[in-house]
Amino acid sequence: MSVNSQLQNQNQTVTSPVKQTPSTFVRWLRLLLKSKTGTFGFIIVLAVILVAIFASSLAPYDPNMINPAAMLKPPFWLEGGSMEHILGTDNLGRDILSRIIYGSQVSLAVGLSAVALAGIIGVFVGLVAGYYGGFIDNLLMRLVDSFLAIPTILFALVILSIFGPSVTTLIVVLGITNWVQYARLVRGEVLSIKEREFVKAAKSIGVRDNKIILKHLLPNVVSPFIVISTLSVATTIILEASLSFLGLGIQPPTISWGGILSDGRDYIATSWWLATFPGLAITITVLAIIFLGDWLRDVLDPRS
Amino acid sequence: MKRKAFWSIFLFVFSAILLVGCSGGTSSSTTEPANTDQKGTDSGTSETKSEVDRTLTVAVGSDMVSFDIHNHNNTSTEAIHVNMFNYLFKKDANGEIQNELVEEYKIIDDLTVEMKLVEGVTFHNGDPLTSEDVKFTLERVATDDTLKEYPNYKQIKEVQVIDDLNFRVVTHAPEPSLFHRLSRLGSGILPKKYIEENGWDNFLANPVGTGPYQFKEWVRDDHITLVPFDNFYQGKVEEWDEVVFRVIPENSTRVSELLTGGVDIAVNIPPADWDRVNSNEGTSVVQEISNRVIMLILRSTEGLPTADPRVRQALDYAIDDGVLANTVLRGGGVPTLTMVGPGNFGHNPDLYDTYNYDVEKAKALLAEAGYADGFEITLQSPRGRYLQDAEVAEMIAGMLAAINVKVNVEFLEWSNFVEMRNANENKEAYLLGLGNSMFDGAYSVDWYRAERYKGHTDYKNDKIEELLNASASNMDQAEREKQIQEISAIAAEDVPFVTLYQEKINIGVSDSIDFDPTPDEMIYAPSIKRK
Amino acid sequence: MGKFLIRRLLQIIPVLFIISFVVFCLVFVAGDPVALMLPEDASPEDIEQLRESLGLNEPFHVQYFTYMLGLVQLDFGDSFRYNQSALPIVLERLPATLELAAASMIVAIIIAIPLGIWSATKKNSPLDFLATGGAVLWKAMPNFWLGIMLILLFSVTLGWFPVSGRGSFSHLILPAITLGTGIAAEMTRLIRSSMLEILNQDYIRTAKSKGIRNFYVVNKHAFRNALIPVVTITALQTSTLVGGTLVTETVFSWPGLGQLLIQAVNTRDMAIVQASVFIIAFVVILMNLIADILYKILDPRIKY
Repeated sequence: MSVNSQLQNQNQTVTSPVKQTPSTFVRWLRLLLKSKTGTFGFIIVLAVILVAIFASSLAPYDPNMINPAAMLKPPFWLEGGSMEHILGTDNLGRDILSRIIYGSQVSLAVGLSAVALAGIIGVFVGLVAGYYGGFIDNLLMRLVDSFLAIPTILFALVILSIFGPSVTTLIVVLGITNWVQYARLVRGEVLSIKEREFVKAAKSIGVRDNKIILKHLLPNVVSPFIVISTLSVATTIILEASLSFLGLGIQPPTISWGGILSDGRDYIATSWWLATFPGLAITITVLAIIFLGDWLRDVLDPRS
Repeated sequence: MKRKAFWSIFLFVFSAILLVGCSGGTSSSTTEPANTDQKGTDSGTSETKSEVDRTLTVAVGSDMVSFDIHNHNNTSTEAIHVNMFNYLFKKDANGEIQNELVEEYKIIDDLTVEMKLVEGVTFHNGDPLTSEDVKFTLERVATDDTLKEYPNYKQIKEVQVIDDLNFRVVTHAPEPSLFHRLSRLGSGILPKKYIEENGWDNFLANPVGTGPYQFKEWVRDDHITLVPFDNFYQGKVEEWDEVVFRVIPENSTRVSELLTGGVDIAVNIPPADWDRVNSNEGTSVVQEISNRVIMLILRSTEGLPTADPRVRQALDYAIDDGVLANTVLRGGGVPTLTMVGPGNFGHNPDLYDTYNYDVEKAKALLAEAGYADGFEITLQSPRGRYLQDAEVAEMIAGMLAAINVKVNVEFLEWSNFVEMRNANENKEAYLLGLGNSMFDGAYSVDWYRAERYKGHTDYKNDKIEELLNASASNMDQAEREKQIQEISAIAAEDVPFVTLYQEKINIGVSDSIDFDPTPDEMIYAPSIKRK
Repeated sequence: MGKFLIRRLLQIIPVLFIISFVVFCLVFVAGDPVALMLPEDASPEDIEQLRESLGLNEPFHVQYFTYMLGLVQLDFGDSFRYNQSALPIVLERLPATLELAAASMIVAIIIAIPLGIWSATKKNSPLDFLATGGAVLWKAMPNFWLGIMLILLFSVTLGWFPVSGRGSFSHLILPAITLGTGIAAEMTRLIRSSMLEILNQDYIRTAKSKGIRNFYVVNKHAFRNALIPVVTITALQTSTLVGGTLVTETVFSWPGLGQLLIQAVNTRDMAIVQASVFIIAFVVILMNLIADILYKILDPRIKY
């Protein structure tokens, strides 16, 4: 071979990649399918979101339509039930399936918005407090302590009973009460990591403050953040149910899963389907969100 | 290091336990709900319990407020007090006012009644009952305006003591309802000497009355225990060695306690559980009408559709009270056209247990009033305050939709609901249950008085005004009764409010007990007997 | 350490003041309780009269001044409902709630720590899946629904435990399980994820690769480092725990602070609400202080 072609061969071996890089989408899809739980979670969450968006086309009946002739009908597989009301009806004759379909809208909206609000506030506060330390840290931690000292449900109870239980108030309340757990955990992680060698090393070679934060701390914080977030969405959906139990949840005619569940609690022993199906809806959705969160965390962990 | 870790965790948990340990021990030892302990280990039946111990256990839905009989205004608190205190007069099972602490009385004039006390009545601490106690009690509530009961007794000017047993009650103005006042909730007689010597705080912690039972202990939000008073003037009550009122706010829990025999009587059983309680071996549901009427308070303010009586009548005709009472409440209500229920002075039997329902007529009335195409209104309602209130409100919305009236149901949490009412922010209609602790119809029909509810209902009916004024100071009871009945009749035509039904009280009772509830919702232990 | 303790204790005071101010404002804005104290048929004059005599017509600053004066002497005013000083009533009810909270925490710790750590070490095994799934399922169940179900099963049907109330040890079991397992679910997952992170860290991997037996690695190295987030998580649960007592106490008629609070909020009994929130805040803050002390003991790298 000529010198030129030898050189060319060398170049080719060095510069051309061994195999084709798959597109980002395909890469993620593969990662998803590797995890059974992750796939399960993703599908369910997607399904719930779709149900929420297309509720009006999917629900067989108007969820608020009262029908005295069809009160407390059991689900179709029990005696007295029929395919007309697949999951049965409640004490006012309203179709349970339709109510659950519509309920997904509010439950998801409240859960996601509240957590988003809480997360933004909390992570920011936690990072700042942990990194800067000193007086700022002290001040912010006093604030954290104040919020932490009052249980979420209590704070929500007082605020909602004063300002009335509207969807907006609920989101704001849940957002304001939830930020604390992000802040505290993030700060804790930051404090530990701050002292570690690689951060000190980075600082000693003159890398600027916020660059350090963004580059080194954020990735390490993302993982617990996701875990907390997923649980937060779950807690929020359940908190809404507890508030409905205490009479301060989402008010009719707006429908939420917590509301349906709470409405059915006097009937648990006799017409169990009123409470069980919304309960299942909550459980399955929450399960899915958490599986999805787990998968995301595993995938995003920089060290695995 | 592992050690350090474990110690750290234990320090944490230990501090929690320490906090409890100091006080937890003492509290558990003072609490002795005899029955619940037994029921915890064996799934016994109610028969076993009543034979083994003579303790009557009653499950109530809310805790007693206080032992200050003049400052609670709460039926469930009074239901307990009535066992410890006696009134001057008391209503019997038929609702007739009878003498209790009073032996006899004489009406002197329009403002004065002379009374003589029963001889030989003593308080739980041994002090004898005298006119001084009556004076002390009545004058306190009639002059202290910080007391919740003040508005109901301020009509009394003074009590003049003649001697130990004789006294006169004097009112500011002719008071036709005096005997109703002295036989209503909050009319117990207090021990003057005991309170003056030991102070109010001591009384509130260790109350003393003349009633058949005396105070043993009160663990807040848990239970109140009473024991028989040996020297009760009507003779010691032999039936029960102990009466325990257990506080169980959650409906399903209260029902569960009844079903397992943990309690003998449980108040306020929700309709959903009636079948369960009745079919359960050893328990059943006993019903009695209460003194509460559920109605829609309408606004007659100019400019609103409900200002027109024909529109109001249309609403009345469009709502099927029968379905509400029999289907939504499963028989837990009696349809009615009057605010003055049976057992109340001035009750009009023609207007009770009947209702108007005619959808076609309703539509015709609307058309006549110029609303053939219907209109929109807001219906405000509390939730969980009255039996099935939310369901009733939603059902009404559905019924009115049939005559083209679009109803926006607005649910309010109770305290917000009360605030709304007091700020006169009520809209076209709101759901309300009105009781009458006086059992005197005059107090119900006073709701039609124009001046009182200006800005709230804005209702005015000249004929009713005339009758209201005439009956307010009419000492001729027969005539007064007719006047109140007439007011109810006019109201049934003019429909300032749509009266829906008279609520029933639904009490779960163990089959081994004989309990006949009364409309005043009192739980008087001496009248409860073992079968 | 001593200086640190004193500093922390001093920090508690401003936190309590912030909380009491916020609560005062809220209750002040809440509107008047007088209307709630009188029956429906009370006339507007009667209501006004009572309000006047209770000093509720005074302007904000006058009421606040009266309030703060009392606060410094630990006098929260008189309860409208009970007509007695508020603080003693609240303190009377505190032991019952603490008893329930402590018992529930014990239940939670016994379940969560072993389960969390074990499922982390056996990641993606059937046990892990069961534990995670189970935890989520349990977490997704609203408190009150679980409580009612437990009563129906164990008290009514089986008759093993009393239905409600407080007295013997057997009265404590169902409520503690209801509250404790809910907390355990959340704790299990958080502990698991913390453990996973630690197990993935370099020095652990190094230790493993050196051939040191897995069991030894876990117990000596990982466990100690896992303790910090475990302590945080446990401390964070105090607030949730106390909040959970609100609903649990209602279902089981447990005569604690939770029930008292709910009634006080419903009847706008200002004195009780403030006193309760204050006491609850104090307890939670105390727990957090202990958590901080534990931080210091466990991780000498953290500087205060």
